[in-house]
Amino acid sequence: MTDQAAPPTTDRPVIALRGIGKVFPGVIANADVDFDLRAGEIHALLGENGAGKSTLMNILTGIYRPDSGQILMDGAAKTFASPVEAIAAGIGMVHQHFKLVRAFSVAENVHLGWKDTPRLASKSVLEARTRALAERYGLAVRPEARIDELSAGEQQRVEILRVLARQARVLILDEPTAVLTPAEARTLFTALRAFKAAGNSVIFISHKLDEVLEISDRVTVLRGGRKVVTEPTANCTTTKLAQLMVGREMVLGGLREAMKPRTEPGRVVLALQKVSATDDRGRAGLIDADLPVRAGEILGIAGVAGNGQRELSEILTGIRKPTSGKVLIEGVPVDNPSPDIFIEVGVGHIPEDRIKSGIAPALSISDNAVLRAYAEPPIAQGVLFKPGAADKLAQQIADDAEVTIPSLSTPMRNLSGGNQQRLVARREMRIAKLAIIAAYPSRGLDVGAISTLLHYLIDLRNSGVAVVLISEELSELFDVTDRIAVMFKGRVMGLYETKDADLETIGLLMGGQTKATSASEAA
Amino acid sequence: MAIRFVRTPIVSSQRALTARIIGFVLALAIGAIVLGIAGFDPLHLGTQIIVKSLGSRFGLEDLGLLYTPLLLTGLAVTVMAKMGLWNIGADGQFYLGAFVTTAIGLFIKGPEPFMLILCFFAGAAGGALWILVPTLARAYAKVDEIITTLLLNFVALLLVYYVATGPWRDRVSGTTASTGRVPYKMPEFFGSLHWGFVIALVAPILFGLALRYTRWGYEVRLSGSNPDAAHYAGIPVRRRMISIMLLSGAIAGVAGMLEVAGTVHRLQGGISNNYGYLGVMVAVLARGSPIGVIAGAFLMALILNAGIILQTQGLTTSAVLALTGLMMLFTAVADQFAHYRIVRTQAATS
Repeated sequence: MTDQAAPPTTDRPVIALRGIGKVFPGVIANADVDFDLRAGEIHALLGENGAGKSTLMNILTGIYRPDSGQILMDGAAKTFASPVEAIAAGIGMVHQHFKLVRAFSVAENVHLGWKDTPRLASKSVLEARTRALAERYGLAVRPEARIDELSAGEQQRVEILRVLARQARVLILDEPTAVLTPAEARTLFTALRAFKAAGNSVIFISHKLDEVLEISDRVTVLRGGRKVVTEPTANCTTTKLAQLMVGREMVLGGLREAMKPRTEPGRVVLALQKVSATDDRGRAGLIDADLPVRAGEILGIAGVAGNGQRELSEILTGIRKPTSGKVLIEGVPVDNPSPDIFIEVGVGHIPEDRIKSGIAPALSISDNAVLRAYAEPPIAQGVLFKPGAADKLAQQIADDAEVTIPSLSTPMRNLSGGNQQRLVARREMRIAKLAIIAAYPSRGLDVGAISTLLHYLIDLRNSGVAVVLISEELSELFDVTDRIAVMFKGRVMGLYETKDADLETIGLLMGGQTKATSASEAA
Repeated sequence: MAIRFVRTPIVSSQRALTARIIGFVLALAIGAIVLGIAGFDPLHLGTQIIVKSLGSRFGLEDLGLLYTPLLLTGLAVTVMAKMGLWNIGADGQFYLGAFVTTAIGLFIKGPEPFMLILCFFAGAAGGALWILVPTLARAYAKVDEIITTLLLNFVALLLVYYVATGPWRDRVSGTTASTGRVPYKMPEFFGSLHWGFVIALVAPILFGLALRYTRWGYEVRLSGSNPDAAHYAGIPVRRRMISIMLLSGAIAGVAGMLEVAGTVHRLQGGISNNYGYLGVMVAVLARGSPIGVIAGAFLMALILNAGIILQTQGLTTSAVLALTGLMMLFTAVADQFAHYRIVRTQAATS
């Protein structure tokens, strides 16, 4: 781990925030925050959803103006009126949701809105410049590729290259690993270390504690808009950081204890028999999958994202139709699977990509909250839809999810990602009479919310509901599942009792290998 | 100090309205200056427009007769916009509604009230039929509805020209470009203004209520807002899309039916008066709101009526069109400007 040369850290801050305060109507987003960023350090900014991390960085990069306080850069007071001014001063931010033009090439995106872009540049000139930049900063990108064709990790590299090309000395990354596979995350970390070694600085916003411990030199923890502490990472442990973040005794304990012991395996409520399905691009997404899902147990699906999990969750909820094989509900094959059949029998679904398929961001919170209940009384009465009853249920779901909402008619998109997730999770649990398929439900949530969510899933399990938990966090799977299946390249590689499984076996299977022999499947 | 513009993604309706009023006034001012330079008296013309369209009974009747089809074609376009689709073919569907009504009028005899009801439904069916192919092409083969609906306008126009100048030509009066008189007449309640006006006024309200207070409306709103989420919710998105497109065509067809049975009483080549295309403008003005259609169509009717009045005052048609275009341009510009705030910033100091 500590094979790196000592970073050239100096004590002089590149950026110093002094007493930053920002109030939105009804919310104190930041109060009296001090923050120092030194040259040659990776500084993690840690906090729960709504702790004020993003607001603070938006103030630093000129998206918001602070109500109070001061920004010092190299000791001199600065105000940035827009991100353009911030980047001109050498501060660049890569947002969680990429801001790239999807129909443009990588080279075009890198050169967009940049004063150094040659006025009359041909495609080949732009691509050559991009290639040179990519080499210089050690970020592998394909200059001629369209953004559309790129994976999340590649898109992120383009974003980072854009910022670095503009000679940023300070790189701000908002939840950079949320969209990455573990391998991509490692590539990112290597690039960050190289950037740091050149005397530059990184602000790394995250709620993944192990990552923070791995990559950062110092950590600043925010809670409720205020700074709790800044500490050298070397003095921190996961437990300590988690306690600082949530301000209470932790957290992910007590999960195993909450699970009622099983006497005998529950009946199979959902089952796949030799099911294959294509992905969105028409390639084999799921291959000959056999999977029984039992009542009263949590079945974990381990695997690196993109190995067929999306197709599996969509098959289990009727959204995607299999190309071959059988899907059974309570032992009965479903002839022509469609979402309404699964909703009818009580299968809830927390989808992988909430914004794309779980909600309508432009519609109201109320409309979104009743998505599973709009067709039944009291909200529906014959052909009628009763907005009053819808509001009542929406309020109840929001209360249960512990989400405070400005008004039920506010568009869903105005809520933070974490709050959208909580509302969707509660909405789906409400209808999960038979089963719930939860795809990466803890993505984007903080430790406190993850704990609450996992306890909900355990409660459902204890009451006899079948739970399928798709996750990349092996620790999470080992904490709460009864059985674990591993997915690799569209295949279900094995199904284990969690108590008999060990991390090494599962980890190898995730890479397509078995413990004894190297995989015979690799062909 | 520096001043810059900052874009805000969401605009309050009050702000949008203010921007539009400013844009409208600016368009009027520029129009007035140009007319002044050309030797007209803008103040006199302005007074004429207001007096002649709003200050007299005849003016109000004319305004109402223009308002009626615009309400319906504007609604037809808005209905489809709720699904995220564009109906550029309201003109063609209007022609079909008019065509079917004329066919019934010329060839079927019966008691007037019954025949009017028949015409109403037949007109709606004609409009729906005209959008059927674009609908199926869109729903099952993802063919762009903008192109298909637009192209069918020309087919409808030629069909109507053909019957109006050929087989159905009026042989009694000897005109060469229109059919004989349709005997069934929408009852009138205010001079020449007929009950079709009331139907057209109530339709957007009914549609607005249906969107908010029916399950179908909820499903349409969800399907239009995010089809993936609608599919996830178990809604048959394709069926909702089909029903919305057919409804849109039917509404435009009713507009054509009312134009024949209420206003023109015969079928002629230019009967649509571009109401279908103007409906697109009404829908843009209404910003997707069914109730907004009532306001948008009124403004459009006023502009059209002003155009007619200005022609009687010696302006050419092109000048009138230019004025109309100017107003539309300023409305569009105002809509964009409403997204921007002016922010004063301190220049970076040390």
